[in-house]
Amino acid sequence: MLANLATLALNGLAWGLIVALIALGLSIIFGLLDVINVAHGDLFMVGGVLAWTAVETTGSFAAALVVVPLLGMALGLATERFAIRPILRNPALTIVSTFGLSLILQEAVRATFGPAPRRLMAPLPGTLPVFGTNYEIYRLAAAVAAALALAAFFLFQQRTRFGTWMRAVRHDRETALTLGIPVARVQLLTFALGAALALLGGVIAAPITTVDFRAGVEILPACFMAVVIGGLGNLPGTAAAAVLLAVTEGVVSGLSDPTAARITSLCLMSAVLLLRPQGLFAGAAR
Amino acid sequence: MSVTAINRTLTAVLLAVLVAAPWVLPMFEAEFWLAITAEMLIWGLFAASANLLFGHVGLLSFGQALYFGFGMYGVAIGVDRFGLGFWPALGLGIAAAVAMAAVAGVFAVRLTWHYFAIITVVFSLIFYFLALRLKPLTGGDDGLSFAPPPVARFGDVTLSLGDETVQYLVILAFAVAAFAFQARLYASPLGRAFAAVRESERKAALLGIDVLKVRWIAFVIAGGLAGLAGALFAFYGRYASATYMYYVVSGEAVIWTIVGGTGTLLGPGIGAALLTLVREELSTVWEHYLLVVGAVVILTVVFAPRGIAGAWNAALARLPGVRS
Repeated sequence: MLANLATLALNGLAWGLIVALIALGLSIIFGLLDVINVAHGDLFMVGGVLAWTAVETTGSFAAALVVVPLLGMALGLATERFAIRPILRNPALTIVSTFGLSLILQEAVRATFGPAPRRLMAPLPGTLPVFGTNYEIYRLAAAVAAALALAAFFLFQQRTRFGTWMRAVRHDRETALTLGIPVARVQLLTFALGAALALLGGVIAAPITTVDFRAGVEILPACFMAVVIGGLGNLPGTAAAAVLLAVTEGVVSGLSDPTAARITSLCLMSAVLLLRPQGLFAGAAR
Repeated sequence: MSVTAINRTLTAVLLAVLVAAPWVLPMFEAEFWLAITAEMLIWGLFAASANLLFGHVGLLSFGQALYFGFGMYGVAIGVDRFGLGFWPALGLGIAAAVAMAAVAGVFAVRLTWHYFAIITVVFSLIFYFLALRLKPLTGGDDGLSFAPPPVARFGDVTLSLGDETVQYLVILAFAVAAFAFQARLYASPLGRAFAAVRESERKAALLGIDVLKVRWIAFVIAGGLAGLAGALFAFYGRYASATYMYYVVSGEAVIWTIVGGTGTLLGPGIGAALLTLVREELSTVWEHYLLVVGAVVILTVVFAPRGIAGAWNAALARLPGVRS
């Protein structure tokens, strides 16, 4: 039983770190552009589909890991330029246009990849003994990869000039503009970066879950929960909340069932929204 | 002539066409369209509930499917479990939706903008998962089917939903009543209070308007509209299912509203009609018609941000001899 719970907690940790990557993209897009990107889950889904395609054609998972986020960046640039930028002044309209994008992405995948879910073989087969159970090596590798990507993002944000600009725009757009920061360019690249993170999450998650055109619709609520519970615009809080939620859901679903776990975390989220709308971790480092 | 006068005339013509449809369509051997028109009316009502909140009070709800689902289940459970007739079951569906909105509204209206949008989704997701779990009551994913009871009996004559014309006219009557109600509502003092809250919460409060109360009333009325749409849809499809409570369905109501024209009376109906039309017609020609829907949605908000109704009014106002 204890070993079983340990496995569930580990699964939750790996999954939570992947969700954190996606939620982070959602959060920076929201923080810098005021855009609620409803298509963000579908970007994750496209990442998985492209990873599957890359492995089928080149046979190399490493190639997918490099190429797919770059494609995501290109997709993000095009989306921001044509579907977001013209209506950036009206946040409600951007929700609608990202909803349109979500329909297009899902249907494009259904038309080309097909409606049936597929499996991608883990690039690192085998198991390791952890807490008395045999645990899949790939899941551990996925957790490490997601954690590294998160660390890289935070370093990028703290240590580079562009990262500093990003923080400035999120903090106070008007002042950033008067200080000569190219706000429009920062927003464009932020959207692209957010999209790239979602596709990267899709690649890392592909061998763990099934590759399916509906995967985006399923993961989006979890990402929103992480963003809200962590506090809108609080990036470390978002990452922490994603892991916390996934571990909780993993353990609760082990004790009863996955739907009960979902309901538990949704009730937790309502409580946070109503009692601490600034997020659980407000006041902690931004 | 003024834009309003032209639109009033067109609305009257539209109403006449809708009333005459059951007798006109068979002349062209197009009875098939009667059912589609009925569906358009139902989705138009559903979109109207999102429009009431977003277009008139400035609250973007992504959770209207919850009240649609309560309307559906109220009817299905009422008929299937309690053996209710048409009118009591319809009443139960609407009452369930209104009660749910009254409770959820107390919490939701304290939040605004993004937080409001998110909490409405969260509430609807909680009940979506509950509905999936309570299989004995709701049928879960498979849904709950039932045989619809007769609408009314006059001596030997029984009006039943099995008759396409009766079903259509019942749905049309409710849709027309709901739109007449909305027209009155938006012209009433309460409707003015809605607009005041939408334009500026602070100014509204300074004018002595109880902002939270006004928002709550709007939330409950919108829940009732969504519940009515759900109840009618349950009778129309003869079943209820948890899938209609998922957040994607709520999202569609918002999309239809904005594509049709936010804050206008007929805009949500136009948007819903357009997308139902595309779904029914284009889907037979091309399986992947959703690509077109997605593109249309993006193009509409980018090039006609006021929606179809807004673009129409702007075009009318530019005609010679028309006052805006």
